[in-house]
Amino acid sequence: MAKEAMLDEWYPVGLFSQVKTTAYKTALMGEPIEVSVGADGNAIVTTSGGRVLSSRVRYGHVWSSIGDPQKEIFSIPEADQPGRRFVDVGVVRVRCSPLRAVENFLDIAHFPFVHTDILGAEPHTEVQNYKVEIRDVEDEVWATQVKFYQPQAAKSASGGITTEYMYRVPAPTCSVLYKTCPPRPSEWDVITLFVQPLAEDLCDVWPWMALFDDETSMTDLIHFQQTIFLQDRSILENQIPRLLPLDPGMEIPTRADLTSVAYRRWLKRHNYTYGAQLVAQ
Amino acid sequence: MSADTTGFWTPVALSADLPSGTVIPAHTRAGSIALWRSDSGRVAASADRCPHRGMRLSYGFVRGETLSCIYHGWSYTQTGNCLRIPAHPGLTPPDTIRVATHLVEEADGVIWVAVGEPVHPPPKLEGLVALRSLTMHADVTTIEAASGAKSDETGLLKATQQYDTMWLLLSEQEQGHTLVHVLLDGDNTLGHRISASRAVESLRRCAEDLQARRSRDG
Repeated sequence: MAKEAMLDEWYPVGLFSQVKTTAYKTALMGEPIEVSVGADGNAIVTTSGGRVLSSRVRYGHVWSSIGDPQKEIFSIPEADQPGRRFVDVGVVRVRCSPLRAVENFLDIAHFPFVHTDILGAEPHTEVQNYKVEIRDVEDEVWATQVKFYQPQAAKSASGGITTEYMYRVPAPTCSVLYKTCPPRPSEWDVITLFVQPLAEDLCDVWPWMALFDDETSMTDLIHFQQTIFLQDRSILENQIPRLLPLDPGMEIPTRADLTSVAYRRWLKRHNYTYGAQLVAQ
Repeated sequence: MSADTTGFWTPVALSADLPSGTVIPAHTRAGSIALWRSDSGRVAASADRCPHRGMRLSYGFVRGETLSCIYHGWSYTQTGNCLRIPAHPGLTPPDTIRVATHLVEEADGVIWVAVGEPVHPPPKLEGLVALRSLTMHADVTTIEAASGAKSDETGLLKATQQYDTMWLLLSEQEQGHTLVHVLLDGDNTLGHRISASRAVESLRRCAEDLQARRSRDG
Protein backbone atom coordinates (compact mmCIF):
# COMPACT_ATOMS: atom_id res chain seq x y z
CA MET A 1 0.00 0.00 0.00
CA ALA A 2 2.10 2.88 1.28
CA LYS A 3 5.43 1.30 0.49
CA GLU A 4 6.14 2.50 -3.06
CA ALA A 5 8.27 5.57 -2.40
CA MET A 6 10.25 3.81 0.34
CA LEU A 7 10.77 0.55 -1.60
CA ASP A 8 14.02 1.63 -3.24
CA GLU A 9 15.68 2.79 -0.01
CA TRP A 10 18.43 0.94 1.84
CA TYR A 11 17.65 -0.58 5.23
CA PRO A 12 19.77 -2.36 7.85
CA VAL A 13 18.96 -6.07 8.08
CA GLY A 14 21.57 -7.30 10.56
CA LEU A 15 25.01 -6.88 12.09
CA PHE A 16 27.68 -7.99 9.66
CA SER A 17 29.74 -9.44 12.52
CA GLN A 18 26.85 -11.78 13.38
CA VAL A 19 26.01 -13.00 9.88
CA LYS A 20 26.91 -16.64 9.22
CA THR A 21 26.98 -19.00 6.24
CA THR A 22 23.67 -20.44 7.38
CA ALA A 23 20.99 -17.87 6.61
CA TYR A 24 18.96 -16.21 9.33
CA LYS A 25 15.40 -15.20 8.66
CA THR A 26 14.08 -11.69 9.13
CA ALA A 27 11.73 -9.39 7.22
CA LEU A 28 11.81 -6.13 5.33
CA MET A 29 8.59 -4.16 4.84
CA GLY A 30 6.45 -7.23 5.29
CA GLU A 31 8.54 -9.39 2.96
CA PRO A 32 10.26 -12.42 4.57
CA ILE A 33 14.01 -12.32 3.77
CA GLU A 34 17.12 -14.36 4.57
CA VAL A 35 20.58 -12.99 5.30
CA SER A 36 23.83 -14.95 5.10
CA VAL A 37 27.47 -14.58 4.14
CA GLY A 38 28.88 -16.24 1.01
CA ALA A 39 32.19 -18.09 0.47
CA ASP A 40 33.71 -14.83 -0.80
CA GLY A 41 32.89 -13.10 2.47
CA ASN A 42 30.15 -10.92 1.00
CA ALA A 43 26.68 -10.65 2.46
CA ILE A 44 23.85 -12.36 0.60
CA VAL A 45 20.25 -11.24 1.05
CA THR A 46 17.37 -13.05 -0.64
CA THR A 47 13.62 -13.13 -0.31
CA SER A 48 12.30 -16.39 1.11
CA GLY A 49 11.17 -17.10 -2.47
CA GLY A 50 14.81 -16.99 -3.59
CA ARG A 51 14.94 -13.61 -5.31
CA VAL A 52 18.39 -12.08 -4.74
CA LEU A 53 18.20 -8.57 -3.30
CA SER A 54 20.73 -5.76 -3.52
CA SER A 55 23.02 -5.73 -0.52
CA ARG A 56 25.91 -3.77 0.97
CA VAL A 57 28.04 -3.91 4.10
CA ARG A 58 28.47 -0.51 5.70
CA TYR A 59 28.71 0.95 9.24
CA GLY A 60 28.89 -2.49 10.84
CA HIS A 61 25.61 -3.61 9.27
CA VAL A 62 24.31 -5.50 6.27
CA TRP A 63 21.99 -3.27 4.22
CA SER A 64 19.42 -4.32 1.70
CA SER A 65 16.37 -3.18 -0.22
CA ILE A 66 13.37 -5.02 -1.60
CA GLY A 67 13.25 -2.49 -4.46
CA ASP A 68 15.86 -1.13 -6.83
CA PRO A 69 18.03 1.45 -5.01
CA GLN A 70 18.76 4.45 -7.22
CA LYS A 71 21.61 5.78 -5.08
CA GLU A 72 24.25 4.49 -2.68
CA ILE A 73 23.84 4.37 1.09
CA PHE A 74 24.20 7.85 2.61
CA SER A 75 27.72 8.76 3.66
CA ILE A 76 29.01 9.20 7.21
CA PRO A 77 32.54 10.60 6.71
CA GLU A 78 33.36 10.05 10.42
CA ALA A 79 33.04 6.30 9.84
CA ASP A 80 36.39 6.44 8.01
CA GLN A 81 38.14 8.71 10.49
CA PRO A 82 41.14 7.14 12.26
CA GLY A 83 41.06 6.89 16.05
CA ARG A 84 37.35 6.24 16.45
CA ARG A 85 35.90 3.16 18.09
CA PHE A 86 33.00 1.59 16.26
CA VAL A 87 30.34 0.10 18.47
CA ASP A 88 27.82 -2.47 17.22
CA VAL A 89 25.15 -1.93 19.86
CA GLY A 90 22.88 -4.76 18.70
CA VAL A 91 19.16 -4.78 18.17
CA VAL A 92 16.06 -3.65 20.05
CA ARG A 93 12.73 -4.85 18.63
CA VAL A 94 9.99 -2.27 19.09
CA ARG A 95 6.28 -2.66 18.41
CA CYS A 96 5.86 0.75 16.79
CA SER A 97 6.12 2.44 13.43
CA PRO A 98 9.73 2.76 12.19
CA LEU A 99 9.00 6.46 11.65
CA ARG A 100 7.95 6.91 15.30
CA ALA A 101 11.27 5.34 16.35
CA VAL A 102 13.19 7.91 14.29
CA GLU A 103 11.07 10.82 15.51
CA ASN A 104 11.73 9.86 19.12
CA PHE A 105 15.48 9.82 18.38
CA LEU A 106 15.21 13.41 17.10
CA ASP A 107 13.55 14.59 20.32
CA ILE A 108 15.44 16.06 23.25
CA ALA A 109 12.55 17.39 25.37
CA HIS A 110 11.86 13.89 26.75
CA PHE A 111 15.35 13.44 28.24
CA PRO A 112 14.53 14.61 31.81
CA PHE A 113 11.41 12.40 31.99
CA VAL A 114 12.38 9.24 30.12
CA HIS A 115 16.18 9.15 30.60
CA THR A 116 16.08 10.69 34.07
CA ASP A 117 19.50 11.47 35.61
CA ILE A 118 21.30 10.20 32.51
CA LEU A 119 20.45 12.38 29.49
CA GLY A 120 18.41 14.93 31.44
CA ALA A 121 17.05 15.89 34.83
CA GLU A 122 14.54 18.32 36.24
CA PRO A 123 14.59 21.26 36.68
CA HIS A 124 16.74 21.50 33.51
CA THR A 125 13.83 20.93 31.12
CA GLU A 126 13.95 23.98 28.90
CA VAL A 127 14.66 23.47 25.21
CA GLN A 128 16.50 26.49 23.81
CA ASN A 129 15.83 27.62 20.26
CA TYR A 130 17.80 25.72 17.64
CA LYS A 131 18.03 25.71 13.85
CA VAL A 132 16.22 23.28 11.58
CA GLU A 133 16.37 23.05 7.81
CA ILE A 134 15.70 20.68 4.96
CA ARG A 135 18.93 20.84 2.93
CA ASP A 136 17.89 20.69 -0.70
CA VAL A 137 21.24 19.65 -2.20
CA GLU A 138 21.76 16.71 0.13
CA ASP A 139 17.99 16.17 0.51
CA GLU A 140 18.39 15.70 4.25
CA VAL A 141 16.78 17.10 7.38
CA TRP A 142 19.28 18.88 9.66
CA ALA A 143 18.92 20.32 13.15
CA THR A 144 21.87 22.29 14.50
CA GLN A 145 22.80 24.31 17.60
CA VAL A 146 20.72 22.01 19.77
CA LYS A 147 21.86 22.41 23.39
CA PHE A 148 20.76 20.54 26.48
CA TYR A 149 21.94 20.14 30.07
CA GLN A 150 22.80 16.51 30.78
CA PRO A 151 23.76 14.87 34.11
CA GLN A 152 25.67 12.08 32.33
CA ALA A 153 25.83 12.75 28.61
CA ALA A 154 28.00 9.76 27.74
CA LYS A 155 29.73 6.89 29.43
CA SER A 156 32.90 9.02 29.27
CA ALA A 157 31.29 12.07 30.93
CA SER A 158 31.74 12.71 34.61
CA GLY A 159 29.21 15.09 36.07
CA GLY A 160 26.70 17.31 34.31
CA ILE A 161 27.54 19.27 31.17
CA THR A 162 25.64 21.26 28.59
CA THR A 163 25.82 19.05 25.55
CA GLU A 164 25.55 20.28 21.99
CA TYR A 165 23.83 18.13 19.38
CA MET A 166 23.36 18.09 15.61
CA TYR A 167 20.85 15.76 14.00
CA ARG A 168 20.73 14.50 10.44
CA VAL A 169 18.01 12.48 8.72
CA PRO A 170 19.60 11.18 5.50
CA ALA A 171 17.06 8.38 4.86
CA PRO A 172 13.46 7.86 5.99
CA THR A 173 14.31 5.37 8.74
CA CYS A 174 17.86 6.45 9.62
CA SER A 175 19.25 9.28 11.68
CA VAL A 176 22.78 10.36 12.55
CA LEU A 177 23.44 12.30 15.75
CA TYR A 178 26.59 14.38 16.28
CA LYS A 179 27.19 15.07 19.92
CA THR A 180 29.73 16.86 22.12
CA CYS A 181 32.67 14.53 22.69
CA PRO A 182 33.80 14.97 26.32
CA PRO A 183 37.40 13.66 25.94
CA ARG A 184 37.98 15.50 22.65
CA PRO A 185 36.15 18.86 22.52
CA SER A 186 37.15 19.60 18.91
CA GLU A 187 35.40 16.48 17.59
CA TRP A 188 31.86 15.11 17.56
CA ASP A 189 30.85 11.69 18.76
CA VAL A 190 28.61 9.97 16.22
CA ILE A 191 25.61 7.96 17.34
CA THR A 192 23.28 6.58 14.71
CA LEU A 193 19.86 5.05 14.68
CA PHE A 194 19.36 2.61 11.83
CA VAL A 195 15.80 1.29 11.75
CA GLN A 196 14.77 -1.87 9.91
CA PRO A 197 11.05 -1.69 9.06
CA LEU A 198 9.71 -5.22 9.59
CA ALA A 199 6.14 -4.02 9.12
CA GLU A 200 4.36 -0.67 9.30
CA ASP A 201 3.97 -1.05 13.05
CA LEU A 202 6.97 -3.19 13.96
CA CYS A 203 10.68 -2.48 13.68
CA ASP A 204 14.15 -3.61 14.66
CA VAL A 205 16.29 -0.71 15.85
CA TRP A 206 20.05 -1.03 15.28
CA PRO A 207 21.97 1.75 17.04
CA TRP A 208 25.62 2.13 16.01
CA MET A 209 28.34 4.46 17.30
CA ALA A 210 31.67 5.90 16.17
CA LEU A 211 33.26 7.42 19.28
CA PHE A 212 36.46 8.87 20.61
CA ASP A 213 36.61 6.90 23.84
CA ASP A 214 39.60 4.69 24.61
CA GLU A 215 38.71 4.23 28.26
CA THR A 216 35.28 2.66 28.52
CA SER A 217 34.95 -1.07 27.92
CA MET A 218 32.93 -2.22 24.92
CA THR A 219 30.48 -3.94 27.29
CA ASP A 220 29.83 -0.70 29.19
CA LEU A 221 29.38 1.29 25.97
CA ILE A 222 26.83 -1.22 24.72
CA HIS A 223 25.02 -1.38 28.06
CA PHE A 224 24.78 2.41 28.20
CA GLN A 225 23.08 2.64 24.79
CA GLN A 226 20.86 -0.37 25.43
CA THR A 227 19.64 1.20 28.68
CA ILE A 228 18.70 4.34 26.78
CA PHE A 229 16.90 2.49 23.99
CA LEU A 230 14.97 0.24 26.36
CA GLN A 231 13.72 3.36 28.15
CA ASP A 232 12.61 4.72 24.77
CA ARG A 233 10.85 1.46 23.96
CA SER A 234 8.54 1.84 26.96
CA ILE A 235 7.32 5.08 25.36
CA LEU A 236 7.23 3.94 21.74
CA GLU A 237 5.06 0.90 22.45
CA ASN A 238 2.47 3.05 24.22
CA GLN A 239 1.85 5.85 21.76
CA ILE A 240 -1.55 6.04 20.12
CA PRO A 241 -1.85 5.56 17.21
CA ARG A 242 1.04 3.22 16.52
CA LEU A 243 1.57 4.78 13.08
CA LEU A 244 3.06 8.28 12.78
CA PRO A 245 0.30 10.82 12.04
CA LEU A 246 1.43 13.03 9.15
CA ASP A 247 -1.71 15.16 8.95
CA PRO A 248 -1.93 18.12 11.31
CA GLY A 249 -4.60 18.01 13.99
CA MET A 250 -3.85 14.63 15.50
CA GLU A 251 -0.89 15.85 17.60
CA ILE A 252 0.29 19.23 18.90
CA PRO A 253 3.89 20.35 18.21
CA THR A 254 5.63 23.23 20.00
CA ARG A 255 8.86 25.11 19.27
CA ALA A 256 10.85 22.27 20.87
CA ASP A 257 9.45 19.91 18.20
CA LEU A 258 10.70 21.75 15.11
CA THR A 259 12.94 18.82 14.09
CA SER A 260 9.94 16.52 14.18
CA VAL A 261 7.87 19.03 12.21
CA ALA A 262 10.58 19.19 9.50
CA TYR A 263 10.96 15.38 9.50
CA ARG A 264 7.21 14.89 9.01
CA ARG A 265 7.14 17.53 6.27
CA TRP A 266 10.10 15.88 4.50
CA LEU A 267 8.45 12.43 4.75
CA LYS A 268 5.24 13.79 3.28
CA ARG A 269 7.04 15.63 0.49
CA HIS A 270 8.68 12.35 -0.63
CA ASN A 271 5.64 10.15 -0.02
CA TYR A 272 7.67 8.26 2.56
CA THR A 273 4.50 7.00 4.18
CA TYR A 274 5.27 3.38 5.08
CA GLY A 275 4.50 3.47 8.83
CA ALA A 276 2.57 6.73 8.58
CA GLN A 277 -1.09 7.53 9.14
CA LEU A 278 -2.40 10.01 6.63
CA VAL A 279 -5.99 10.67 7.63
CA ALA A 280 -6.76 11.67 11.20
CA GLN A 281 -8.87 8.95 12.77
CA MET B 1 -24.09 -0.22 34.68
CA SER B 2 -27.06 2.03 35.22
CA ALA B 3 -28.30 3.50 31.96
CA ASP B 4 -30.60 6.42 31.27
CA THR B 5 -31.15 8.17 27.99
CA THR B 6 -28.18 10.50 28.21
CA GLY B 7 -25.50 8.28 29.67
CA PHE B 8 -24.54 5.77 32.34
CA TRP B 9 -22.02 5.13 35.08
CA THR B 10 -19.24 2.52 34.93
CA PRO B 11 -17.62 1.19 38.12
CA VAL B 12 -13.94 1.45 37.11
CA ALA B 13 -12.03 0.78 40.35
CA LEU B 14 -12.25 0.51 44.11
CA SER B 15 -11.31 3.60 46.12
CA ALA B 16 -8.74 1.57 48.04
CA ASP B 17 -6.87 0.71 44.82
CA LEU B 18 -6.24 4.37 43.91
CA PRO B 19 -4.16 6.00 46.67
CA SER B 20 -3.43 9.74 46.58
CA GLY B 21 -0.71 10.68 44.12
CA THR B 22 -1.26 7.76 41.73
CA VAL B 23 -2.67 7.11 38.25
CA ILE B 24 -4.03 3.85 36.80
CA PRO B 25 -5.51 2.82 33.45
CA ALA B 26 -9.21 2.04 33.30
CA HIS B 27 -11.71 1.14 30.64
CA THR B 28 -15.25 2.25 29.86
CA ARG B 29 -17.39 1.83 26.79
CA ALA B 30 -16.23 5.33 25.79
CA GLY B 31 -12.61 4.11 25.59
CA SER B 32 -9.43 3.97 27.66
CA ILE B 33 -9.05 6.45 30.47
CA ALA B 34 -6.36 7.57 32.89
CA LEU B 35 -7.87 7.52 36.39
CA TRP B 36 -5.90 9.49 38.97
CA ARG B 37 -6.06 10.90 42.46
CA SER B 38 -4.31 14.15 43.36
CA ASP B 39 -2.13 14.56 46.44
CA SER B 40 -5.08 16.24 48.20
CA GLY B 41 -7.31 13.24 47.38
CA ARG B 42 -9.44 14.44 44.45
CA VAL B 43 -10.26 11.80 41.85
CA ALA B 44 -10.28 12.67 38.12
CA ALA B 45 -10.61 10.80 34.82
CA SER B 46 -9.18 11.88 31.48
CA ALA B 47 -8.76 10.35 28.05
CA ASP B 48 -5.73 8.05 28.16
CA ARG B 49 -3.80 9.96 25.48
CA CYS B 50 -1.61 13.03 25.71
CA PRO B 51 -2.51 15.27 22.74
CA HIS B 52 1.16 16.24 22.24
CA ARG B 53 2.58 12.92 21.03
CA GLY B 54 -0.16 10.37 21.76
CA MET B 55 1.50 8.82 24.83
CA ARG B 56 -0.78 7.03 27.29
CA LEU B 57 -1.38 9.32 30.27
CA SER B 58 -1.95 6.30 32.54
CA TYR B 59 1.87 5.81 32.36
CA GLY B 60 2.28 9.33 33.74
CA PHE B 61 2.79 10.69 37.23
CA VAL B 62 0.79 12.77 39.70
CA ARG B 63 2.29 15.77 41.44
CA GLY B 64 0.19 18.01 43.64
CA GLU B 65 -3.10 18.60 41.83
CA THR B 66 -1.90 17.74 38.30
CA LEU B 67 -1.36 14.67 36.14
CA SER B 68 1.80 14.75 34.00
CA CYS B 69 2.65 12.80 30.86
CA ILE B 70 5.71 10.58 31.31
CA TYR B 71 7.03 11.45 27.82
CA HIS B 72 7.61 15.22 28.03
CA GLY B 73 6.10 16.12 31.39
CA TRP B 74 3.15 18.13 30.04
CA SER B 75 0.83 18.50 33.02
CA TYR B 76 -2.96 18.64 33.12
CA THR B 77 -5.51 19.76 35.69
CA GLN B 78 -8.57 17.79 36.84
CA THR B 79 -10.61 19.69 34.26
CA GLY B 80 -8.23 18.70 31.47
CA ASN B 81 -6.44 21.91 30.54
CA CYS B 82 -2.69 21.86 30.05
CA LEU B 83 -1.00 23.81 32.82
CA ARG B 84 2.67 23.44 32.00
CA ILE B 85 5.01 22.44 29.16
CA PRO B 86 8.44 21.84 30.75
CA ALA B 87 10.33 22.40 27.47
CA HIS B 88 9.01 25.99 27.58
CA PRO B 89 8.85 26.95 31.26
CA GLY B 90 7.97 30.58 30.48
CA LEU B 91 5.01 29.71 28.25
CA THR B 92 1.40 29.71 29.41
CA PRO B 93 -0.15 26.89 27.36
CA PRO B 94 -3.11 28.06 25.24
CA ASP B 95 -6.59 26.88 26.30
CA THR B 96 -6.83 24.80 23.14
CA ILE B 97 -4.31 22.30 24.58
CA ARG B 98 -6.43 19.99 26.69
CA VAL B 99 -7.47 16.40 27.27
CA ALA B 100 -11.07 15.22 27.31
CA THR B 101 -12.29 14.47 30.83
CA HIS B 102 -15.14 12.41 32.28
CA LEU B 103 -17.35 12.97 35.31
CA VAL B 104 -16.25 10.90 38.31
CA GLU B 105 -18.19 9.96 41.44
CA GLU B 106 -16.86 8.10 44.41
CA ALA B 107 -19.25 6.47 46.87
CA ASP B 108 -19.30 3.42 49.13
CA GLY B 109 -15.68 2.59 48.24
CA VAL B 110 -16.30 2.45 44.47
CA ILE B 111 -15.13 4.92 41.80
CA TRP B 112 -17.64 5.47 38.98
CA VAL B 113 -16.88 7.15 35.67
CA ALA B 114 -19.65 8.62 33.51
CA VAL B 115 -20.04 7.66 29.89
CA GLY B 116 -22.06 10.49 28.38
CA GLU B 117 -23.93 12.70 30.82
CA PRO B 118 -26.12 10.57 33.06
CA VAL B 119 -28.96 12.49 34.73
CA HIS B 120 -28.99 10.38 37.88
CA PRO B 121 -26.12 9.78 40.31
CA PRO B 122 -24.45 6.34 40.31
CA PRO B 123 -26.33 3.52 42.03
CA LYS B 124 -26.17 3.36 45.82
CA LEU B 125 -24.44 0.39 47.40
CA GLU B 126 -25.51 1.18 50.93
CA GLY B 127 -24.62 -1.35 53.56
CA LEU B 128 -21.99 -2.98 51.34
CA VAL B 129 -18.22 -2.70 51.65
CA ALA B 130 -15.73 -3.20 48.83
CA LEU B 131 -13.34 -6.13 49.18
CA ARG B 132 -11.28 -6.42 46.00
CA SER B 133 -11.41 -6.30 42.18
CA LEU B 134 -10.34 -8.85 39.62
CA THR B 135 -10.55 -9.31 35.86
CA MET B 136 -12.21 -12.42 34.47
CA HIS B 137 -11.53 -13.60 30.94
CA ALA B 138 -15.22 -14.21 30.49
CA ASP B 139 -18.23 -12.10 29.47
CA VAL B 140 -21.09 -11.07 31.73
CA THR B 141 -23.51 -13.81 30.56
CA THR B 142 -20.91 -16.50 31.21
CA ILE B 143 -20.19 -15.18 34.71
CA GLU B 144 -23.93 -15.17 35.38
CA ALA B 145 -24.17 -18.77 34.20
CA ALA B 146 -21.18 -19.82 36.32
CA SER B 147 -22.56 -18.14 39.44
CA GLY B 148 -26.16 -19.23 38.86
CA ALA B 149 -27.49 -15.69 39.30
CA LYS B 150 -28.45 -12.69 37.18
CA SER B 151 -27.06 -9.18 37.49
CA ASP B 152 -29.53 -6.30 37.88
CA GLU B 153 -29.63 -3.12 35.79
CA THR B 154 -26.76 -1.61 37.81
CA GLY B 155 -24.53 -4.61 37.05
CA LEU B 156 -24.85 -5.97 40.58
CA LEU B 157 -25.10 -9.73 41.06
CA LYS B 158 -25.81 -11.56 44.33
CA ALA B 159 -23.72 -14.71 44.45
CA THR B 160 -24.19 -17.38 47.08
CA GLN B 161 -21.00 -19.35 46.76
CA GLN B 162 -20.53 -22.21 49.19
CA TYR B 163 -21.61 -20.66 52.52
CA ASP B 164 -21.51 -16.85 52.35
CA THR B 165 -23.22 -14.23 50.27
CA MET B 166 -21.12 -11.87 48.20
CA TRP B 167 -22.06 -9.15 45.77
CA LEU B 168 -20.35 -8.82 42.41
CA LEU B 169 -20.38 -5.54 40.53
CA LEU B 170 -19.70 -6.37 36.86
CA SER B 171 -18.19 -4.05 34.26
CA GLU B 172 -17.62 -5.06 30.63
CA GLN B 173 -14.07 -4.60 29.33
CA GLU B 174 -12.43 -5.05 25.93
CA GLN B 175 -11.96 -8.48 24.32
CA GLY B 176 -14.89 -10.05 26.17
CA HIS B 177 -13.23 -9.59 29.58
CA THR B 178 -15.13 -8.44 32.65
CA LEU B 179 -13.91 -6.40 35.58
CA VAL B 180 -15.48 -7.78 38.77
CA HIS B 181 -15.66 -5.79 42.01
CA VAL B 182 -16.38 -7.94 45.02
CA LEU B 183 -18.52 -6.41 47.77
CA LEU B 184 -19.63 -7.87 51.09
CA ASP B 185 -22.32 -7.05 53.60
CA GLY B 186 -21.08 -4.47 56.07
CA ASP B 187 -21.13 -6.79 59.07
CA ASN B 188 -18.56 -9.23 57.62
CA THR B 189 -15.69 -10.77 59.58
CA LEU B 190 -12.12 -11.53 58.58
CA GLY B 191 -13.23 -15.13 58.02
CA HIS B 192 -15.92 -13.95 55.59
CA ARG B 193 -13.44 -11.86 53.70
CA ILE B 194 -10.97 -14.71 53.30
CA SER B 195 -13.60 -17.21 52.20
CA ALA B 196 -15.17 -14.68 49.78
CA SER B 197 -11.79 -14.00 48.24
CA ARG B 198 -11.26 -17.73 47.70
CA ALA B 199 -14.79 -18.23 46.44
CA VAL B 200 -14.45 -15.53 43.82
CA GLU B 201 -11.20 -17.11 42.58
CA SER B 202 -12.97 -20.43 42.10
CA LEU B 203 -15.84 -18.61 40.39
CA ARG B 204 -13.27 -17.04 38.07
CA ARG B 205 -11.83 -20.44 37.13
CA CYS B 206 -15.33 -21.78 36.57
CA ALA B 207 -16.40 -18.85 34.40
CA GLU B 208 -13.17 -18.90 32.37
CA ASP B 209 -13.46 -22.66 31.75
CA LEU B 210 -17.07 -22.21 30.69
CA GLN B 211 -16.09 -19.31 28.42
CA ALA B 212 -13.31 -21.39 26.83
CA ARG B 213 -15.76 -24.26 26.26
CA ARG B 214 -18.32 -21.88 24.77
CA SER B 215 -15.77 -20.34 22.37
CA ARG B 216 -14.50 -23.79 21.38
CA ASP B 217 -17.98 -25.07 20.67
CA GLY B 218 -18.69 -21.92 18.68
